[in-house]
Amino acid sequence: MRLFEYEGKALFSRYGIPVPRSKLARDESQALSALGEVGLPAVLKAQVLSGGRGNAGGVVLVRTRGDAEKEAGRLFALKVGGEPTRALLVEEASEHGEEMYVSITLNRGRREFVALASRSGGMEVESRAEGAMVDVPVPLEGLSDSAASELGARLGLSGKTSAEFRSILLKLERLCREEECELAEINPLAVHADGSLIALDSKVVLDDNALFRHPEFSQLPPEDPLEGEAARFGFAFVRLDGRVAVVGNGAGLVLSTLDLVADAGGKAACFLDLGGGAQRDRVEAALRLVRGLPSARAVLVNIFGGITRTTDVAEGLIDVVSERPMVPVFARISGAEEAEARALLSGSGVPVYATAQEAVLAAVGEAGR
Amino acid sequence: MTFEMPEKGDPVIVQGITGRYGSLHAGLMLGYGTNVAAGVTPGKGGQVVEGVPVFDTVKEAVEETGARASVLFVPAPALLPAVEEAVAAGVRLMVAITEHVPIRDTLKAIRLCEESGARVIGPNTPGVILPSRRLKLGIMPAPSFREGGVALFSRSGTLMYEVADALSKAALGQHVAIGVGGDPVNCTTITECLDWAAAADEVRSVVVVGEIGGDAEERLAEHIVESRFPKPLVAYIAGRSAPKEKHMGHAGAIIYGDYGTAESKIASLKRAGAKVATTTSEIPALVSDAR
Repeated sequence: MRLFEYEGKALFSRYGIPVPRSKLARDESQALSALGEVGLPAVLKAQVLSGGRGNAGGVVLVRTRGDAEKEAGRLFALKVGGEPTRALLVEEASEHGEEMYVSITLNRGRREFVALASRSGGMEVESRAEGAMVDVPVPLEGLSDSAASELGARLGLSGKTSAEFRSILLKLERLCREEECELAEINPLAVHADGSLIALDSKVVLDDNALFRHPEFSQLPPEDPLEGEAARFGFAFVRLDGRVAVVGNGAGLVLSTLDLVADAGGKAACFLDLGGGAQRDRVEAALRLVRGLPSARAVLVNIFGGITRTTDVAEGLIDVVSERPMVPVFARISGAEEAEARALLSGSGVPVYATAQEAVLAAVGEAGR
Repeated sequence: MTFEMPEKGDPVIVQGITGRYGSLHAGLMLGYGTNVAAGVTPGKGGQVVEGVPVFDTVKEAVEETGARASVLFVPAPALLPAVEEAVAAGVRLMVAITEHVPIRDTLKAIRLCEESGARVIGPNTPGVILPSRRLKLGIMPAPSFREGGVALFSRSGTLMYEVADALSKAALGQHVAIGVGGDPVNCTTITECLDWAAAADEVRSVVVVGEIGGDAEERLAEHIVESRFPKPLVAYIAGRSAPKEKHMGHAGAIIYGDYGTAESKIASLKRAGAKVATTTSEIPALVSDAR
């Protein structure tokens, strides 16, 4: 679960990491009253989870109240990567020089957490030369003072900046460990003229599987109503913008079906994994859910029956396709009891194909490319 | 670090056997011919599930049966303690079916394995099957698997079944199939599985089913070259059309920037000399070509 910038900064504050004075605004009038507290000049920052906010114009420096009024209206109407602005963070403008980067993140290949840092942070840090990044492994029990100092020394930091960097790195690591984050990132970490440091942005990704140990985070409702519905049934669901809704049992199977749809010149409207034990009621719930996707013109159901009984799937399909309105359903059913499932579906209006490729071609043909 | 698979008839315990899932699959494993000798659920000792005696602790189950392998169906918060208990009781191979395990618990399990020489496969895995030994330590549908010389390693469950089914129908049976798990970090990596396959005489060729996210396939490709892996290898990568920064079902199936893309994995594996299938249905033909 990714936190909004303002949520991440609230965590930073709790762990003693310095952040600029700020106030969250849910609408334009709140934004203007927040200016009264924060003062001018100020930075208005659209609160979205999608990347590329800066390039999309989601962060703006305002010097006058008139500017702020105009920009707040624009930012509340802004979408970044299709995601609407939920709120604005109104923040005091910070006079600073150098912008650094620091994060604690899981290195999957090395199977350990690492601390990463660079003297050149800011936008698009990922695409810069890797040579500028330095890293140290983070033991499960936490980063030692000496390892934190070492990282600062490798960046060539000295004096006040070096001491502050070490202190912030250790706090960030403790936050990452105690809150069980997959990523805790400060970018940029700005250097003031006096050598002190301040976290100008936050990117915090929590380990979803550890939320049971952190109930304070698990209350946030999903942003997308269909995602909420999917979560209620325990489906893995990703909304996409094509015309073929893809439903199957197993993450890898659905992923490979998405590729077949793309190969056939189509575009998927969603990824929906029913999970193991796809019983009749779950199949029904999944089909009713994908019916709510405005872009879907066809539904492709790809089932490999192992422990899942394909006759259960067939019965679920029959129950839902008789309902109106319903987009056409195309099925590929293979595995345990497939002949019985096929017999059940004959005359139901759901064509059943022997291979995923055939079902994909039919669904893409119906939905259009 | 290497590991050993149980032999035919070796006793196996099931941790979490009294749950709905644990009892269902204990029965299916028994039906396949696997010697499920004991179950463990704290507080349920003395019960019998599918004809299998249940104990309160792994220690008692091990003392009673001599089992050195365990299949775990415990809830996610209980997985790390269950692994610790099993290792302390002398279990050497644990197959962790449990999904939604916190990443730090998995990392702690890996460290415990490194210290003790024990082995965990998973978590979030369909398990391990060795058809010639009638050994099924997991939840995979047995009819899709046949005895033969292919070693099949997969990050995905259903795709492993689908590919095994296609191989079996093409008379390409399997010596072993291992699901390494769909999480960002696997206690046993595909690279470690490859070393196991290199040393196993029964394995004549390898099929790897990978997917987007992480760099396990890139590391595998490097290892194929460095270790001069001596057997033909066919790979398939799911997720060529997946969007970035979205978890595609598995916690591990996510692309960040250029990290974890299918293109990178396919290119690395091709450079290492692997045959890469574009779709799962192409795999059997590539395997028979390779032999």
